[in-house]
Amino acid sequence: MTGRFGFLGRRVLQLIPVVVGITILVFFLLHLVPGDPARQILGQHYTPKAAAEIHHKLGLDQPLWTQYRIFMDRLVHGELGDSVYYNQSAGSLIAERLPATLLLIAYAGVLAALVSIPMGIIAALRRGGIFDQATRIGTLITFAMPPFWFGIILILFFALKLQLFPVSGYGHGFSDHLWHLFLPALTIALAFSTILTRTLRASMLSTMRMDFVDTARIKGISRTTVLMRHVVRNAIVSIVVVFGINLAFLVGSTVIVESVFSIPGLGQLLVAAVESRDYPVVQGTTLVLAFFVVLVNLLTDVVHAALDPRVSYE
Amino acid sequence: MPDLPDTPTTSSRRARRARALALLLALAAGAIAAGCGGGGGSTGAGGGGAKADTLVIANAVNVDTLDPAANSVNESIWMTQNIYERLLQPNANGTDVVPQLAKSWDISDDGLTYTFHLGDHKFSDGTPVTAEDVRYSIERSIHYEGGWGFLLEAVKSVEAPDPKTVVITLSRPHAPLLADLAMYAYAVVPEKLLKAQGAKTFFQKPIGSGEWALTQWNKGSDLTFKVNPYWSGEKPNFSTLKIMIVPNDNSRVLLLQNKNADIIENPPGNLINELSANPDLQTYLFPSTRVDFIQLDQHFPPFKDPKVREALNYAIDRNAIVKLAYSGHATVGSSFMPYKMQYWNDSLKPYPYDPDKAKELLSQSSYPNGFKTFLIEVANDVAGNATAVVIKSDLAKIGIDVDIRTYELLTAYDKEDGGNSQMGQRYWTNDIIDPDEVTTFGVDPQGGANAFSSYWGDPTATKLVHQARGELDTTKRQQMYEQIQQIVYDQSPYLILDYSPYRYAAGKWVHGFHATPLGNYNLSLETLTVDQH
Repeated sequence: MTGRFGFLGRRVLQLIPVVVGITILVFFLLHLVPGDPARQILGQHYTPKAAAEIHHKLGLDQPLWTQYRIFMDRLVHGELGDSVYYNQSAGSLIAERLPATLLLIAYAGVLAALVSIPMGIIAALRRGGIFDQATRIGTLITFAMPPFWFGIILILFFALKLQLFPVSGYGHGFSDHLWHLFLPALTIALAFSTILTRTLRASMLSTMRMDFVDTARIKGISRTTVLMRHVVRNAIVSIVVVFGINLAFLVGSTVIVESVFSIPGLGQLLVAAVESRDYPVVQGTTLVLAFFVVLVNLLTDVVHAALDPRVSYE
Repeated sequence: MPDLPDTPTTSSRRARRARALALLLALAAGAIAAGCGGGGGSTGAGGGGAKADTLVIANAVNVDTLDPAANSVNESIWMTQNIYERLLQPNANGTDVVPQLAKSWDISDDGLTYTFHLGDHKFSDGTPVTAEDVRYSIERSIHYEGGWGFLLEAVKSVEAPDPKTVVITLSRPHAPLLADLAMYAYAVVPEKLLKAQGAKTFFQKPIGSGEWALTQWNKGSDLTFKVNPYWSGEKPNFSTLKIMIVPNDNSRVLLLQNKNADIIENPPGNLINELSANPDLQTYLFPSTRVDFIQLDQHFPPFKDPKVREALNYAIDRNAIVKLAYSGHATVGSSFMPYKMQYWNDSLKPYPYDPDKAKELLSQSSYPNGFKTFLIEVANDVAGNATAVVIKSDLAKIGIDVDIRTYELLTAYDKEDGGNSQMGQRYWTNDIIDPDEVTTFGVDPQGGANAFSSYWGDPTATKLVHQARGELDTTKRQQMYEQIQQIVYDQSPYLILDYSPYRYAAGKWVHGFHATPLGNYNLSLETLTVDQH
């Protein structure tokens, strides 16, 4: 047990330099990009005088290092600063938008697992058969389709033709959220399931070649038991790792998919904030998303170790 | 062999079971989700009867703030105009101001004192609108940092001698005062409530005396309004107004086609004809105050030469731009002032497309063999990108080589200002109906915007801008503004291209929707009807 806690402690400590590194990267990269938030605020009434007033109000007339120091000082105190564009704190904006994105990612993850686990297993069991071929071609096609286009195709078919799901929006209440998020989650899930299905299929095939599988069968254990206890359990470990690593892919997809389906999530907030140079919101959102990815990577390691006794906590 | 050894007797049954399980798993999520969503269906109104009780509008741009003093984004401004009232408001055609909170007003003979008499209006929480609320709101907006105070620099004091009277005293005659006060930034908020809650809290769920009271605001998603129970005007024909925020152009069109929205803002220009052809839908092109033009920065020597600027005017085929960029749904431009707004000079005619004359003019200039220049355009602006292509091709014909440089919006603006630019795509829209605003920004070199960043200035035009601002005689003002427009037309410090309209599409079940040239549609919501659909 101490090994486990020590492992967790070390990994959490390792997060600190990663997060600080992210803050530096995000802060300075963003300020390197030309464009001025005062322009967004003033619109066509931009004058150098009015812009200078706004720069002073926002502290943008300070040297960059001072601005970074202020940002970090606030961060340590749990604050992200006030949005330049919206009339509220960046923290509360992010808190409002976070649930939609988390739900979308979780939903997409679940759908991807529901689609890819059976498909990967069956394709491996019937290698070379019609189902296997269809799966391989199908996953290739869904992987090749860009999410923004695929999303629109899903809308056209499921929302417009069959009228089963809404065109866009987020809805009110949990069940309504699930209904509204089905098509966007499916858009992400289908692209994501390609990687999962193919990984699982390959992993199943290689596990089935192992000697211990033959040994188990020779010992008289039923095919189903061998499959579930030995083959799938071994093969599923690879899925967990791939799932964790590709979470960044999911987060990236939400940015586009939220825009197509008008979901008020972090992705949409981030795009709008970058466009309007809303520095505190971009910094805050990136930080939250980066932290989320790092955290899931950590969880992946933990789950991986729990599933596979051969992985040590050292 | 990778396949597991199988027992022949059980193989087919197991395979069937596995297949069925896989299919079930794949379908389960969709079925559950579809079942769960039963209650959240139509956003439009359903059921029997002739009229619907809800109007759903899908906007393209998010609402950033509902604080009128801080507003600068159109879609947010239109929301605040539903919520609050001002002393006066522009009429439906944007040609004059009409009463709103003030039922009447008197102007002293010297034009320095304006006395407004308030009608009986109530905020949506039932408290009456007082002169003190008006005074507080106007002063708050005047002093709001980065706000619109510069419009009312002539105001010396705002007083509320009794609950129904507001007196505004000026330090000098200021002809646009009524138009300025009709601007969204000078909307009236309840002083006591705002002070008690603090601005940050208040503007999350603000209270106003306008026709619509905000009941729900899901940031980045939607806003719901109910009719203000204390609204003093005529009750609208529907009780709920829902605004959806749908940034993706295609998604908005699909929402309308699916009848989940009744009206959509800004359908893509290239879909206007297709949408009009749909028997269930209608499209609207409302005259706006938008003027599309090309900035010519005079720090670039060729643009200092009036002959070059004149040549450019004849070289550009404006009809081709209107056709290509707006599918013909725009008007070819002449004056720099918004189309047919107050004091618009209708004697000016658009420069005709005449490449031969352009060549001749260029040969008389200091650059007879042409020159190389660049044109800044904004990425993802479909109409703007089409315009840039026409300009490049037209100017190539007279020996001017244009390099199109594409930047993201704020970067493009940054590059266009500051005196290092050459050609840049720009546009203007009015916030007030009076031409004082556009002439200050577009003509007066001291107006703060360096005459639309052209760094051009003409002493006569500048003098006229100042005189017209203080002139209370409308006939004289008309003459002054016509003269200013003539000077700008002749000297062409920027190339006026076209006047593009506001685009909307709606279901045929919507009757009476109308946006004013300033873009607000709150007036039409008072009489609009929605059929069941």
